[in-house]
Amino acid sequence: MAAQMATTKVPEVRDITRIERIGAHSHIRGLGLDDALEPRQVSQGMVGQLASRRAAGLILEMIKDGHIAGRAVLIAGQPGTGKTAIAMGIAQSLGPDTPFTAMAGSEIFSLEMSKTEALSQAFRKAIGVRIKEETEIIEGEVVEIQIDRPATGTGAKVGKLTLKTTEMETIYDLGSKMIESLSKERVQAGDVITIDKATGKISKLGRSFTRARDYDAMGAQTQFVQCPEGELQKRKEVVHTVSLHEIDVINSRTQGFLALFSGDTGEIKAEVREQINAKVSEWREEGKAEIIPGVLFIDEVHMLDMECFSFLNRALESDLSPVLIMATNRGITNIRGTNYQSPHGIPIDLLDRLLIIATSPYTEKETRQILKIRCEEEDVELSEEAHTVLTRIGQETSLRYAIQLISTAGLVCRKRRGTEVQVEDIKRVYSLFLDEARSSQYMKEYQDSFLFNETTLDTSKPMTV
Amino acid sequence: MAVQSWSDLLKSSKKTALIHDGKRKIHYLFTDGKEMAEEYDLTTDELTVRKWRSKSTFKGHGPWEIEVGEPVSSTVASLESDVIKENCSNPIFLRKDTKTSFQWRVRNLPYPKQVYNLSVEPDQRCCVIRTTNKKYYKKFNIPDLDRSQLPLDSSALSFTHVNNTLIVSYKKPKEILTLEHELLCEVKKLKGTNEGDVDCKTQ
Repeated sequence: MAAQMATTKVPEVRDITRIERIGAHSHIRGLGLDDALEPRQVSQGMVGQLASRRAAGLILEMIKDGHIAGRAVLIAGQPGTGKTAIAMGIAQSLGPDTPFTAMAGSEIFSLEMSKTEALSQAFRKAIGVRIKEETEIIEGEVVEIQIDRPATGTGAKVGKLTLKTTEMETIYDLGSKMIESLSKERVQAGDVITIDKATGKISKLGRSFTRARDYDAMGAQTQFVQCPEGELQKRKEVVHTVSLHEIDVINSRTQGFLALFSGDTGEIKAEVREQINAKVSEWREEGKAEIIPGVLFIDEVHMLDMECFSFLNRALESDLSPVLIMATNRGITNIRGTNYQSPHGIPIDLLDRLLIIATSPYTEKETRQILKIRCEEEDVELSEEAHTVLTRIGQETSLRYAIQLISTAGLVCRKRRGTEVQVEDIKRVYSLFLDEARSSQYMKEYQDSFLFNETTLDTSKPMTV
Repeated sequence: MAVQSWSDLLKSSKKTALIHDGKRKIHYLFTDGKEMAEEYDLTTDELTVRKWRSKSTFKGHGPWEIEVGEPVSSTVASLESDVIKENCSNPIFLRKDTKTSFQWRVRNLPYPKQVYNLSVEPDQRCCVIRTTNKKYYKKFNIPDLDRSQLPLDSSALSFTHVNNTLIVSYKKPKEILTLEHELLCEVKKLKGTNEGDVDCKTQ
C-alpha cells in the first residue's frame, strides 16, 4: 500500500501572483524622499506638496527611531490635496515590521463599546511587541512517504514519513492532519522540508541536489538545495510580532483568542491592560521582548467629540503610546459635542500638543502628473489632448472628479474599440456624469420639481449633534 | 549576569523534600523562576530522575524537560495526535547515571558495534554519536559539566553495545563527585515526611 501521494481531493497550494484591486491610494509606494530627506518632485507615486512631504519625512525618522512616544501630528488641508496620501506614504515607507493602524474618526462611535475603549484599542493596536521564542523544528530530506488507507475505505488514514539528513535517518508517524497538509503541499520523495513540531506547519525548502538528475517535469521555480546536515530536530529561535491589543484580547479571558478573528472583543478591563504592561516591561528588561512603537492614523479627526479629545490629551502622555497622525479638512468649525468653535474642530489644548503639517492645492502641472500616474495605475492610455482636457477639468472641478473620469472614459474608449482615450471620450463621460458644482447648479435650477421642496429649511436654529 | 557558581545557586534555591514510593523526591525553586525536581533511590542513593521546568514567555509553565531518567510515556495522548511524532521503532535516547559516571542509553539501535563512532567536540562543549551507515546521529552536551564549567575530556568517554542498546559512559570528574556528595548530605538533612501531602514551601 505504498501509494506515493496518489490523486487526492485535497486542493493544492499553487503559486499565483496576487491580483490587487486598485484603490484610491494604491499608486503610493512611499513618501518620495531621497536619503537627505529632500523630496523629489515626482517619486513613488507622490507629486508636489514638497514642504509637507519633507515634514512627513522628519516624522518618519522620528517613528523609525522609536524612542519618542506620544507625539501627535495633524495633517490639515483642503479636500483632495493628498492628506491621506501622505499618511499612506508614511505607512508604506515604514514597511511591514512597524505596526500602522488606520481608522476613520467616525469608527469609534459604536453602541457596543464606549468611545474611549475604541480609542484605547486603536492605540494598543499600534504598538507592536517582538517576542523571541525557541521552537523545535524538524528539517530534512524526504526519503519516503507512505500513506495507508484503511481497508474499509472510511476512517482515519495513517502514514509514515522517513526523513534524513547527511548523518541520520528517522521514521515519523503521521496523524491525519499531517497527511492532509503533506498532500496539500505536494511533498514528494526528494524534497527538503521543515516541519514545526508544535504546530505541524510544513514548509518546502526545495529539492535535494541528489535528485537533480531526475529530469522529470519540474516547474521553473523548483529550487535545488543541499541535504541538511547534523541532527533532524533542531531548536530554532523564532520571532513573533504581536500587537499589545492582541495580547490584551488573549488574556482578557472572557472571550478567548477567537475574539481576535470575530472582532467581538468587548471592553477590556483596565486591570488586564495594567498587568500586560507590567509583564511586557518585565520581558523587555529580561531581553525576551522588544517594543516597536507604531503609528495610529485617524482620518477625519474632526468627527471625534470633546470626550475623545480630552482622552487623547491624557493618552498621549503615556510612555506606551504610539505616534498619532491625524488628518482633517475642516477650517474653523464647531468642536463636536460642544457649541465652541475652534480651528480644525480640535480644542486648543490638544492643538497645542500637535505638530501641524499643511497641504496646499495642486498646481496645474502637478494635477497633470497625478492624472498621468493614475492612468498608469488604472491601465488606461490617454492621448495628449485628452490629458490636457482632463487636467483642465481637474483644475476647475476637483482632482477626485477628474480621477473618476479616467476609468469611465477608459471604458467608453474600449466600447468603441479604441486603444487610446480621446477628447471625445472625455467629453462623453463629462456630459454623462455631473461634478459637484454642476450638480449644485442643477439643483438650484430645478429645485421646485424635486420632492419635499414645499418645506423650507429653518436655518435659524443651530443643528444639534 | 555575573557568573554564579552552581553550588551557590543550589544553596540559594528553595528546597522541598518528600519521601514517597521508595524514592527521595526533592523540588528546587531557583531565584529566576526555574524549577528542578530530582528523585533519588532510597537504598542506593542513585539519581533516577532530574527534570527542569521554566516559565515560558507567554503565560503558564512549559512542560517538564527531562535531563536524567526515562521520559514519561504518554501513549494515549500520542495515538490521537493529529500531527507528527517519532515512530516507536526509532532509537530512544535517555540518560541514566551511575554513582561514578554519567551514562546515556540509546535503545533500539540494532547495528553492530563497529558502526558507532563517538567523539568529543570541546569547542562546542558536546559529545557526538555518529554511525558509519548514516542511520543515527546525536549531539548532546553534559549539563552537569556546563553548570560547573568544567572542561570535556575525550579520554573519559567510552561505550559498549548490548541488547540493541548503545551505552555511552563518561567518567565523572572529581569536582562533580564531591559536589554530588555534598548535595546528597544536604538533601538528607532536609526534613521529609513519609506522607504524600506535604506543605510545599516552594509553590
